[in-house]
Amino acid sequence: MFVCGYHFPASEGNDVSFDKVIEKVKDGVNPAGKTVTLTSETREGVKLEELSVPEGTFAHVAFVDYYESSDVPGDFKMIYYTNKYQISEISKSVDGAVTKDLCRKLDDMNLYRVKVS
Amino acid sequence: MAELRQIAFYGKGGIGKSTTSQNTLAAMCHYYGKKILIVGCDPKADSTRLILHEKAQSTIMQLASEAGTVEDLELEDVCKPGAGEFHPDNTDITEGYINCTESGGPEPGVGCAGRGVITAINFLEEEGAYDDDLDFVSYDVLGDVVCGGFAMPIREGKAQEIYIVMSGEMMAMYAANNISKGILKYANTGGVRLAGLICNARMTDKEYDLAKHLAMQIGTQMIHFVPRSNHVQRAELRRMTVVEFAPSSDQAFEYRELARKIINNDLKVIPKPLEMDDLEALLMEFGLEEEVEEEAIGKKAEEA
Repeated sequence: MFVCGYHFPASEGNDVSFDKVIEKVKDGVNPAGKTVTLTSETREGVKLEELSVPEGTFAHVAFVDYYESSDVPGDFKMIYYTNKYQISEISKSVDGAVTKDLCRKLDDMNLYRVKVS
Repeated sequence: MAELRQIAFYGKGGIGKSTTSQNTLAAMCHYYGKKILIVGCDPKADSTRLILHEKAQSTIMQLASEAGTVEDLELEDVCKPGAGEFHPDNTDITEGYINCTESGGPEPGVGCAGRGVITAINFLEEEGAYDDDLDFVSYDVLGDVVCGGFAMPIREGKAQEIYIVMSGEMMAMYAANNISKGILKYANTGGVRLAGLICNARMTDKEYDLAKHLAMQIGTQMIHFVPRSNHVQRAELRRMTVVEFAPSSDQAFEYRELARKIINNDLKVIPKPLEMDDLEALLMEFGLEEEVEEEAIGKKAEEA
């Protein structure tokens, strides 16, 4: 199955543990000192707000990894809806209160774009 | 050469099954150079119009009726090459191509709608439509009711992997569960497997959670959440797929990602369909329906 864009072989079943996903997402990424900025917009393309993702969280690592490994073009890269929901789900579980408000926003129906600088 | 994969998109009528399948198959061809044959198995014969840039393709049942019998038809009569970049001779964008055929069905109210599916598949097999160059054969099948005719592609291992197009609405989830029951019936004899749910989102509250948990409980994965986009409707009005109409749009990338996942997917399972009570419990758990007290059943909103 696919979580955060990564393929987990069928032998691992349809319920891959968050630990395995986190391990794969963290592999080869150096998020230290990087600033992650998200923007949200409606389906009609109206910009809503800009959000920052706290460093030291899974969400921060995952967005850095997405930004650096995805070939979606642009300075601000659109985030696949599937990925934003999956990142939120894991972040709620492992980052706790630090990303609670951010995850609540990510769970909505808006489109998010990410920039890492 | 890679082995031919026979996949099928099932889903309830009106869920966006044909739109999702054509846009996804177009992305498999456009971005990944896949060679595909589409076999439309919906009586309304709209499984190929975006690939062909046409209103509706003449169906095998229509052409057989005009010619006398299906034996009077040639493969070229019923199998058309895709338009533009999907044509086998056009290699400007992709080495891949898409050929199209529609089974068709009887006039409304007359006969069995699944008969066209059976006739079409038998004819295509006999005429050698499933040639060695193909990477994928894709069946697009109506699945509100999994009658014997509509189950034809999943019998005897014709379609080996099934993708169910659904949404977070109750009837779409009910249909997805029902289709899983149909797959289960033929899983041991024909080798068919459920390969995932595709959530063609209505953008209702907690839709991702609902789709994901339904998938998990059935034993499969929610392989991709496809958001709503005006690009889909705009492209449809031009009888085009999104990857042709707006190749650098966000929606085109969503279909590209779904295409990538299908191409690399190896999670193919015998489903474990839910009982109706479990399905309702799932809907209640994720808030689509509020839990209803026994005494409120059958009461109007102002009474309850």
